[in-house]
Amino acid sequence: MSAKILQRLLVAVLVAVMLVWLIVPFAMAILWSMVDPSTAWTYPDLLPPKLSFERWWIMWQTTSLPTAILNSYSLAPIAALLTALLAAPTAFAFGRLDFPGKGLAQILILVPLVMPGFVVAIFFASILLQMGFFARYPAILFGHVILYLPYAVRILSVSFGQVRTDVVNAARDLGASPWQVFRVAYLPVLRPGIFAAFLVVFILSLEEFALAFVVGSPDFTTIPTILYSYLGYNFIRPNAAVVALILVVPNVLLMLGLERLLQSANPASVSGKG
Amino acid sequence: MLRKIMLAATTALLSIGPVMAADDLLTASWDDVIAQAKQEGELNWYVWYFQPEFREQVRVFEDLYGIKVNVPDVTSGDDVKNKLLAEAGREVGDIDVIALGGDAANTIDVTKVFYGPILPVLPEAGALTDKINGGDGQGYAVAYWGNQTGMAYDSNRVDVATLPQTLDELAAWIDANPGQLGFNYEKGGSGPSFIHNIARNILGIAPDAVIDAVPDLAPVWDWFNAREDKFVITGSNADSLTRLNSGEFLMVPAWEDMLFSLQTKNEVGSQIKLYVPDWGMNGGGNIVAIPANAPNKAAALLFVSWLTSADTQTAFNQRFGTAPANSNADSSKALVSAAERANTRLWTMPINSNDVVPAFIENVVQD
Amino acid sequence: MRRTLFVLLLLAPGLGLVLAFVSLVLYVAVSQSFGLYNLGGDSVFSLAHWQAMLGERRYWRALQYSAYIAVTASLLAVALAYPVALLLRKPFRGSLTLSALIKAPLLVPGLVAAFLFVNVISYHGIVNQLMLSLGLWDAPVRLQNDKNGYGVILLQVWKQLPFAFLLLSAAVQALPDAVLLAARDLGAGPLDRFRKVVLPLTAGAMQAALVLIFIGAAGDFSFQAVAGPPSVDSLATLMTSVQSTQGDWNGAAVVAVTLMALSLFGSAALAILVRGATRLARG
Repeated sequence: MSAKILQRLLVAVLVAVMLVWLIVPFAMAILWSMVDPSTAWTYPDLLPPKLSFERWWIMWQTTSLPTAILNSYSLAPIAALLTALLAAPTAFAFGRLDFPGKGLAQILILVPLVMPGFVVAIFFASILLQMGFFARYPAILFGHVILYLPYAVRILSVSFGQVRTDVVNAARDLGASPWQVFRVAYLPVLRPGIFAAFLVVFILSLEEFALAFVVGSPDFTTIPTILYSYLGYNFIRPNAAVVALILVVPNVLLMLGLERLLQSANPASVSGKG
Repeated sequence: MLRKIMLAATTALLSIGPVMAADDLLTASWDDVIAQAKQEGELNWYVWYFQPEFREQVRVFEDLYGIKVNVPDVTSGDDVKNKLLAEAGREVGDIDVIALGGDAANTIDVTKVFYGPILPVLPEAGALTDKINGGDGQGYAVAYWGNQTGMAYDSNRVDVATLPQTLDELAAWIDANPGQLGFNYEKGGSGPSFIHNIARNILGIAPDAVIDAVPDLAPVWDWFNAREDKFVITGSNADSLTRLNSGEFLMVPAWEDMLFSLQTKNEVGSQIKLYVPDWGMNGGGNIVAIPANAPNKAAALLFVSWLTSADTQTAFNQRFGTAPANSNADSSKALVSAAERANTRLWTMPINSNDVVPAFIENVVQD
Repeated sequence: MRRTLFVLLLLAPGLGLVLAFVSLVLYVAVSQSFGLYNLGGDSVFSLAHWQAMLGERRYWRALQYSAYIAVTASLLAVALAYPVALLLRKPFRGSLTLSALIKAPLLVPGLVAAFLFVNVISYHGIVNQLMLSLGLWDAPVRLQNDKNGYGVILLQVWKQLPFAFLLLSAAVQALPDAVLLAARDLGAGPLDRFRKVVLPLTAGAMQAALVLIFIGAAGDFSFQAVAGPPSVDSLATLMTSVQSTQGDWNGAAVVAVTLMALSLFGSAALAILVRGATRLARG
């Protein structure tokens, strides 16, 4: 009994600590972001003398926040779609076929996961320069697709493995065309996997920093690169707070929503194997 | 191989294509330049600092001519320069107007990389210069920004009478106020200016001395290393000022224009003041130029003339506290008095700061 | 034969593309570190770039520092993730909230986390003010950009903990109840059960977590740039600074090869060492 109380106490303390750890920093950031431009918050004032949202408005108008948001939120879905499409054939082979060297192939696909991001970024940039290729948007898009193919392949392989051969055969026996077979036997099982692969790549692309920073240098802005600029080199605390909040709040909301969707799309419930 | 073919192809294109139109522009009447600029309708200005502020300033130009000015956020000045050089072989680049530190004109082959010479063509040419920060733009690059580094201090907590003016006074001040001096060695030049000038003072080299070889810098490292527990290394220009403002330091090196601009927006409080000590702090300025492969050359030329005009330079002085780069502009607004301006020093003379700062990183920071 | 061709065709757009890209990047990085495949200037095989870089104190300090951060962060993250994963093996009241909170760092980009952190620990920030008002400290303490990189390690552990947690909790949940119950019936205490049952059965997941976190932390740029000690570089910040500030691609390539070697051999060595240690612990 006492062990149980102890455990409960431990959990309560853990939850409290983690909440403080999350809430206090965000509260401070909100406070800093609301320092009114008419009066400075400076030592030894404990609290800002005047609060307003004025700074938010100024930052939105005079920084390239809108461009960064447009770039990031257009790169992410395109990268996700392309990645899922390119991953599908490999995932099919991994999930439904047996061939010599399959084990090795399944390990090799994971190589990008263990490559340091900045090494990939700098030498991809070097290759692009040597080729005389200067269009940054497609270059970063291509980079994201390659970097995140492993995730999509892994997720989709599992889905392909869950497709039931008896259903496929039954559909064939009933004279279904290849398209019909795909629609009846594959699609229902694959759908959650496709969805999951799309979301994972979407989120990863949205957060990717190294490639966007190096290949996009000096002037291609995405959400992470603009964050770096205002949190690093041009670090002015109230402005940094505004940029961080403008970019993080929608991110967090979006991802919470996505996670919920992801949980409701449980592969087991659809494949009928649960 | 591929690269060589690309290079050959692009240089071939470069030598025939845009140069034709370019010559026209340099000999055309100013009215024709304006007409063509309006036809081009927009331009990209690459500048590595104050982008939010500049986006506000260029609205005057946009309203005047109906030409849109894009000011991209850039990662750093070095990255912009790398882009300029890496893309010099492209037939048409992205950059219409580029801002650089004045000394960059000496490390870039300005006659090849830039379009021009543009200085003689500008309507206010007589009031402008192509020599700043120890660099010579040879008419291809024009000064548009004059600046000065100094020591910023918290006037609420530091008595003006006790401000150190000489090396010995600084040493005594550091002993009396341990942990109250912060400076950066990278991401901005304010700290490097401090390191550079203190080094020159330690070596006992007069500002106007002529030196043919870099002297032994060991005494400099000894001086700093002996005090390494009493000063703090910061992350950047902005980091120094942010932490001075929040009460962590009493004194940091800073740019006059940066502090002025931050105070205008109340991002730094008005109790922070700036002085240029007798031991000297570097001053200089920045240039603008038009890359040879700029897509909108007429608009770029018109923009450079607006940027360097007496009106704009006066406006910059009032908004940023800069030293005007146009001799007809008004220079009444500044943080530093005229008397203190005499303590301004050069980045390149008598020893080059590039010979001191990287060695400082190796011998003091990493030590 | 036709079947082989079919499989190869299937693999080409996925695996094929990945392998082609990665090997090209590796090839360019390694060749440029030896002065080959140069941007501008002649391409001549040379050891000069290695020699120059190996002669710089900055390089050695960066290597040492990145290795230190990677080892400390990965060990700490795994050590912290174990008890939490075990605690959450069976659902209880509040377990969902707790596991959501542990996964929260996945939603906050590293740069933002670093900014929030630096903001809170700044000289007159809330932590210092709290300690002062509680009378625990007499004067504010300079916590920001601390010399030992504790701030960076804290951020790394915070950001990487979810990965360790996800990997370990999958392994822990797969432990058969029967085995744990049997161990308890045989009179094994909690620590013994952990040492002799849990650890050996989840060692694979632990090694995977160690390797992934090690590689992530060894290649860190953003935490170092915002919260790290200003007097030292991580390999990633050194590499970008060499490439961007000095325009030296060959020097950057030397650092890149070093970073890849550290990631590969460092993480492998750590995983093997820890595996050995768990064997010893089992007794």
